[in-house]
Amino acid sequence: MPRYHNINGVQVQFTAEEEAARDTEEAAWAAGAFDRAIADVRVKRDRLIAQTDYLALSDNTLTDAMTTYRQALRDITNGVDTVEKCNNITWPTKP
Amino acid sequence: MGLISNGSTIFDNGAMASGFGGNMVFIKKLTASSSATLSFVDGSDGVVLDDTYKEYVFTFKNIHPATDQANFQFNLSIDAGSNYNVTKTSSGFRAFHPENDSYTGLAYWASGLAQSTNFQSITDGLDNDNDSCGNGTLTLFNPSSAVFVKHYISTCQINEGGSQESMNNFVGGYGNTTSAVDAVQFKMSSGNIDSGDICLYGIA
Repeated sequence: MPRYHNINGVQVQFTAEEEAARDTEEAAWAAGAFDRAIADVRVKRDRLIAQTDYLALSDNTLTDAMTTYRQALRDITNGVDTVEKCNNITWPTKP
Repeated sequence: MGLISNGSTIFDNGAMASGFGGNMVFIKKLTASSSATLSFVDGSDGVVLDDTYKEYVFTFKNIHPATDQANFQFNLSIDAGSNYNVTKTSSGFRAFHPENDSYTGLAYWASGLAQSTNFQSITDGLDNDNDSCGNGTLTLFNPSSAVFVKHYISTCQINEGGSQESMNNFVGGYGNTTSAVDAVQFKMSSGNIDSGDICLYGIA
């Protein structure tokens, strides 16, 4: 399928050079899918850990449940090696 | 009944008096139909993107990608659309909340550019389910200035495609050029813009 620009409402077909450049661009985007997905998981994981950091200060003792929860968050990326797995993470429930 | 301040009539008979307030002037609407790019180029087909206005606003409605989890992006041109490669520096953040309520978050978003000519992402990965889309605005300030760089701000609300989230993306940055920006192009990071509208307004 040829690609088209819409320039001010006028359809303009891609040139052969533009098609090749876009193919390269889309291949690079696809190749980075897992890196983007796992980075996204880590952002969310870090956010959840940070929300309980105050419970881990030196003048407080973590409950076993909270220790387990925080460890589960740290382990959340274990075995996650595909975009689909990234998109279907089961997040632990905060105690 | 009117509104008068210090002797000056501001509102009267339900209308604002001349000299007060401004106008948001509709310029052009482009509708995507399996379009690889949507471009607004100054000077033809009714498109104005010059020193007529000091501020331009693009509004996106129901942007639906052909490819799942592709980012919606834009770039600037200083040569009437021959090249979309203005050097940009920017930063962004995002707020998110999934449908299953398993977390909420507000975080820096690695969409920021550092002296890059790449396209600027203004949404994260859009979901391409039939009922999913993205909406938002991009404001471009004083694109014709010969003195200042070209600042922009964007806010978009999307169905994020990976984790089925509501996501609000915020991006701000500048085209690091003192040449006049006279064209803006939008596209997905991969695949076509399946459907959706982009309208361009000038702020008088």
